[in-house]
Amino acid sequence: MRRAPVAYSAIAVVIATGVVACGGSDSGGSGGPSGSSGSSAAGKKQTVTVTITSKSCLPDVATIPSGPTTFKVVNKDAGDVTEAELVDGNTILGEKENLTPGLSGTFSLNVKAGKYQLYCPGADTEKVDFTVTQAAGATAAATRGAEVTAALSTATTGYATYVRQQVADLVTTTGAFVTAVKAGDLDQAAKLYAAPRLDYERIEPVAESFGDLDPAIDARIDDAPDVASWTGFHRLEKAIFADRSLAGTAPIADKLNTDVGKLNTLVAKATFQPAQIANGATELLDEVGKTKITGEEERYSKLDLLDVQGNVEGADKAFTLLEPALKSLDPKLASTVRTRFTALYKALAPYKEGTGYVNYDKVTQDQRRGLSQAVDALAEPLSQVAGVVVS
Amino acid sequence: MVERFALSRRRALFGAAGFAGAGMVAATAAGCSDDSSPATAAAPRGIVPFHGAQQAGITTDAQDRLAFAAFDVSAGVSRDQLRELLVGWTAAAARMAAGQAVADDAAAPHSPPRDTGEAVGLTAGNLTITFGVGPSLFDGRFGLAGRKPAALADIPPLPGDNLDPLRSRGDLCVQACADDPQVAFHAVRNLRRLAQGTAVLRWFQLGFGRTSTTSDGQDTPRNLMGFKDGTNNIKREDTTSLDKHVWVGADADQAWMRGGTYVVTRRVRMLLESWDRDFLQDQEQVFGRTKASGAPLGAAEEFDPVPLTVKGADGEPVISADAHIRLAAASTNDGATILRRGYSYTDGVNQETGQLDAGLFFIAFQRDPRTGFIPIQRRLAASDALNEYIVHTSSAVFAVPPGVRDPKDFWASSLFTT
Repeated sequence: MRRAPVAYSAIAVVIATGVVACGGSDSGGSGGPSGSSGSSAAGKKQTVTVTITSKSCLPDVATIPSGPTTFKVVNKDAGDVTEAELVDGNTILGEKENLTPGLSGTFSLNVKAGKYQLYCPGADTEKVDFTVTQAAGATAAATRGAEVTAALSTATTGYATYVRQQVADLVTTTGAFVTAVKAGDLDQAAKLYAAPRLDYERIEPVAESFGDLDPAIDARIDDAPDVASWTGFHRLEKAIFADRSLAGTAPIADKLNTDVGKLNTLVAKATFQPAQIANGATELLDEVGKTKITGEEERYSKLDLLDVQGNVEGADKAFTLLEPALKSLDPKLASTVRTRFTALYKALAPYKEGTGYVNYDKVTQDQRRGLSQAVDALAEPLSQVAGVVVS
Repeated sequence: MVERFALSRRRALFGAAGFAGAGMVAATAAGCSDDSSPATAAAPRGIVPFHGAQQAGITTDAQDRLAFAAFDVSAGVSRDQLRELLVGWTAAAARMAAGQAVADDAAAPHSPPRDTGEAVGLTAGNLTITFGVGPSLFDGRFGLAGRKPAALADIPPLPGDNLDPLRSRGDLCVQACADDPQVAFHAVRNLRRLAQGTAVLRWFQLGFGRTSTTSDGQDTPRNLMGFKDGTNNIKREDTTSLDKHVWVGADADQAWMRGGTYVVTRRVRMLLESWDRDFLQDQEQVFGRTKASGAPLGAAEEFDPVPLTVKGADGEPVISADAHIRLAAASTNDGATILRRGYSYTDGVNQETGQLDAGLFFIAFQRDPRTGFIPIQRRLAASDALNEYIVHTSSAVFAVPPGVRDPKDFWASSLFTT
């Protein structure tokens, strides 16, 4: 009952923006190769020469590929035109002013693809169209070294292995739990409820990718279309911890066992892309913020912090597998995410009790807010990993 | 009257003249130049220059909407990380003030967009983003204890306070004002996002209508009680008063605050149900003004001098001893005066009472709260007739450092370098 599964959100919104960042300051303006810009490889600086005359301001090329660009502005002989600007509508992206005849100067920008204009106030034709196309080979994947590609490949097989192991464990722990439920042993069922929850929460986004399986296994009462068709762990959780009666729950227990078995069959064939793994990690943390911190997920057993642990461990595993590649691709991001994982574990530590965690009722409003903030602090940089490791 | 209001309101929204504000140097609001020479062209419409000797959003003509947030720096954050946050915030704020997205977003379908996107297609709406630091930032976590100005002391408890600690104080503050509420919200939302892991949102107040004028060109708006309050505000044209009462001078104990100011915020809930039951004459005596025209009682026009010494036929002062206008007047406060820049707010229904949770989010700038807000409010809290109808529910004070000089500078840089 959640948003689209691990399937990396294909519909990221692309914002039309001001599209440039100030480039380095090339004060002086001399030295750049005059004239020719040609096609520049991504990341390599190119130069556009703009000549100001009383008639207009003319670039030596009307179309360039995106990327860092130096605009060299030359005033040949225009007495009443002394500046040239690169504009996007009414927004000035870069400019060189106070160029009297004979003078030249530069401004530098990292220009993104788009339609712009060169603007020289006072000329007969003040605006001239200027087009920037998407540079070829500008995507991250194209420039990757063999080592990184190999590390990402290791991550994908590693994650598949991890998921299969978790689900295999889930089959075992669910089996024991279901046996206790069907035996009508309330205390034993209560005791065995925690283990499969932890296994499941570690790989929850994967289960979510298989359509109806996640709702069948993990729906909260609010997610079920009606109480009669409500199945899965939380239906049994209510029977054990709230109703204190297992009467009539045998079919639910059997179905849970069957559904977990189906999940096991499905994950045997599943493969994962690096971006999927990264997005899955982010989704695990979104789960924490959405239903765990609020105490909705385990409202009868009060084991919410155990679910949190499962989600965080699952996210950590996914990130750890991607970490070697990420360290090459974006070391700062890799180190930020690692630091935030450490901080989140530190935030959870005070609530540990025995082999698990304190009853969630004992966690105050202020403490819950603190946990939620630690989760957000991690999830924000973690959400940037997919775009870096995407194939 | 209606005509005049409409005209000057339009001027406030769209007029280009005077955007730079007193003491603000013209600077490149948008665009880049390798030699960083200031642009000579006037700022485009609806864009308030971000860079300058003082921060924008203080003497800038009060915009229509407010989004004000206080942040706490997260545990374990180092001084360098704090500095890095302020560098990143400043760059993002400069872009947003110029009507740009927070960062360039190349088409990257597998990454979350860097800008949240809700301001795309909107104008800058005269957005100003003003930054301040609270007393708690100087507690030793960042090695700044020796940099704490004496003027940056917590506001002491005052009579009539009923403060919610979760809506009060804070390590950092951001005041976003714009003529479009979505633009103001977008600014705070994106700064908050950039702060993830470094600082957390402590409280966040939206204001839907300005209650102050900070320029002679603006008409005095009405507060939720229906009155014009703050007619005698310090205006940006009055640079003498600004230098005397608002900007921190060269005599400051902390050099990094020279050219800055201090902001006090108070969430003043109005008991509007009670107020609306009060009869007109009493309402007017509470404020000391005529409700319809805004003129002081005993005077003809809004901007006439307040006749504090004039007595009526009954021998009593026409403006009573406990009238708000009298107690707040500079002349009765040993000359103490502050630049008010508040907004009307509502947070819906008070669930305890079923009454409106609405009132004034009071904002005041001054060179020293100890000689500005605190003595004035102490006096008001003791005897203001208005106290029957208001309750102060939050309180905060922040040091507002001088302006960001150019694109290489950042908020409170002088705190880290001076």
